[in-house]
Amino acid sequence: MSTLLNISQLSWQVQHKSILQNINFNVRKGEVIGIIGPNGAGKTSLLRCLTNQGNILASRNISGSVHLKNRAITQFSAKEIAQHFAVVMQKNDSIFALSVQDVMKMGLLPHKTLFSLDSDHDKAQINLALTKVGLDHALHNDFSLLSGGEQQRVLIARALVQASQVLILDEPTNHLDVYYQHQVLQLVNKLNITVIMTVHDLNLASLYCQRLLLLDQGKLICDGSPEEVLTPDKLSKVFGLPCQQSIDSITGATQVSFYLNEINQKKTRASEPLDE
Amino acid sequence: MNKVSSILLALTALMILSAIVALTFGPADIDSSELITCLLGSCQNPIANVVIWQVRIPRVLVAMVAGMGLAIAGAILQNTTRNPLADPYLFGIVSGAGLGATIANITLADNLTIALPLAAFLGALFSVMIVVFIAKVLRSMEQLLLAGVAVSFMLASITQFILYFGEPFATNRVIFWLMGSLARVEMSNFYVIASILVIAIITVIALHRQIDALLLGDESAASLGVDVDKLRLLMLGICAALTATIVAYCGGIGFVGLMIPHIVRQLIGVTTLKLILGSALIGAIFLIWVDVIARSSLPHAEIPIGIITSALGSIFFLFIMYRSRAIS
Repeated sequence: MSTLLNISQLSWQVQHKSILQNINFNVRKGEVIGIIGPNGAGKTSLLRCLTNQGNILASRNISGSVHLKNRAITQFSAKEIAQHFAVVMQKNDSIFALSVQDVMKMGLLPHKTLFSLDSDHDKAQINLALTKVGLDHALHNDFSLLSGGEQQRVLIARALVQASQVLILDEPTNHLDVYYQHQVLQLVNKLNITVIMTVHDLNLASLYCQRLLLLDQGKLICDGSPEEVLTPDKLSKVFGLPCQQSIDSITGATQVSFYLNEINQKKTRASEPLDE
Repeated sequence: MNKVSSILLALTALMILSAIVALTFGPADIDSSELITCLLGSCQNPIANVVIWQVRIPRVLVAMVAGMGLAIAGAILQNTTRNPLADPYLFGIVSGAGLGATIANITLADNLTIALPLAAFLGALFSVMIVVFIAKVLRSMEQLLLAGVAVSFMLASITQFILYFGEPFATNRVIFWLMGSLARVEMSNFYVIASILVIAIITVIALHRQIDALLLGDESAASLGVDVDKLRLLMLGICAALTATIVAYCGGIGFVGLMIPHIVRQLIGVTTLKLILGSALIGAIFLIWVDVIARSSLPHAEIPIGIITSALGSIFFLFIMYRSRAIS
């Protein structure tokens, strides 16, 4: 598999706080990568750097580079970046009654010129994408009245219409119940495109990602397969809780469970230096 | 043909019909057969000819483009700020125009036909620049409207201070001008407003996908390749130019930009292309008829048009608030 993205020596410093510290990794085409770590570890910040959102890499506080197909991401125009990356954010609400179709049409934007109207081909693409996420019946529904899981699926379908090579998702399972968590992640897995997402639930991450990046306090602690990353020693250090690893008897995936025996465990964690 | 195009087509027909019917209203007694012969250029009665071509046609045409312009400005502001209560008048544009007009009235007593609209225009642009500056400092769309209200009050207080110490005649002129009226408009006003309107509509049609992308949030729009700050600034500039020109010629006509897009959203749709075209047509029809009420409801006087739109608008405003309460 060829290298699609290269992240090299990426650091982001705000005043005395390191948001990201010397992050290095490559993304190969077709990988499904989960970024895991505690709150404030820098997961969302890392996602923002990948797409150079708001030309963030030009900021004085950020050093290092992101290359897409061997070309620095800072040299891509906003429109070119939108042609390569589709982003599904956590917060997506509109005060106006947008229909699913209206939301889907936004995905056409990076491939459209000024004044352009929708062609029959566009409409077919929209229907095809909605069929893939199982929502072809909802074309004219009000987007804001859909369930959280359905909204996520519409936005993933929008990403398909956007025809980008990399799908970026920020906490796609947030606020979803168990059924929709699995449904959305299974869908993401079946799309056959490169996916980079932040995931809070470690067991879901293990089940649906081929590769995990464990972040803590801006550092990339570990990069590897779920069984390499989700080890009790690494996780208990990062999350400050004792942890046990097991193999799920049905899926065969690595699973972890945390248990709280002493409440002061978390306190000692902050003073302990972390070895990388 | 789909539903949206048929509604737009019907509205276009209704607008043209409204404009023609509106020509029959006015103090001079002109019946419809006389109107039609005069419109076709074979007028028997020279007085009717002058009344129709130099008084009523400019007035109806200005009402049409002013209604279009104010409604479009409201629609653009509402979609680009994602605030259904955004209105060019709430951005301090009228207060700025009022201040400009006041200064022109007090300092230049002669030659007001050119100076008054120009000063009003400059005042309106000035107020928008302050609001945009504040918005850039605050970097918050939610507060843009509040900044507009604050700027509006500030400029209004300066205006009132000048008027309080000013000469009574000049004060009267400004106060009546602020109430809004189409009584003194000319054909040249129509050409100026119409040209800015055409530029505004073409720009919005060109960028309609970008503006739509804003509807799901700034981050979502940025991820689709939209330069959010630049787009919003451009749209604010267009709204300011449009509103300032209309206010300069017609005075204060409030709440059109707030009301009309709401009706269009219910009737046609929320995305920019539909909203702009629908707002243009319904805004034109609305202001043509409000002007008919303004000039023909009292026997020997006109009601300033801004009084009627503000009365309707404030009730509408409360209605929207009541409805959004019921939904949430």
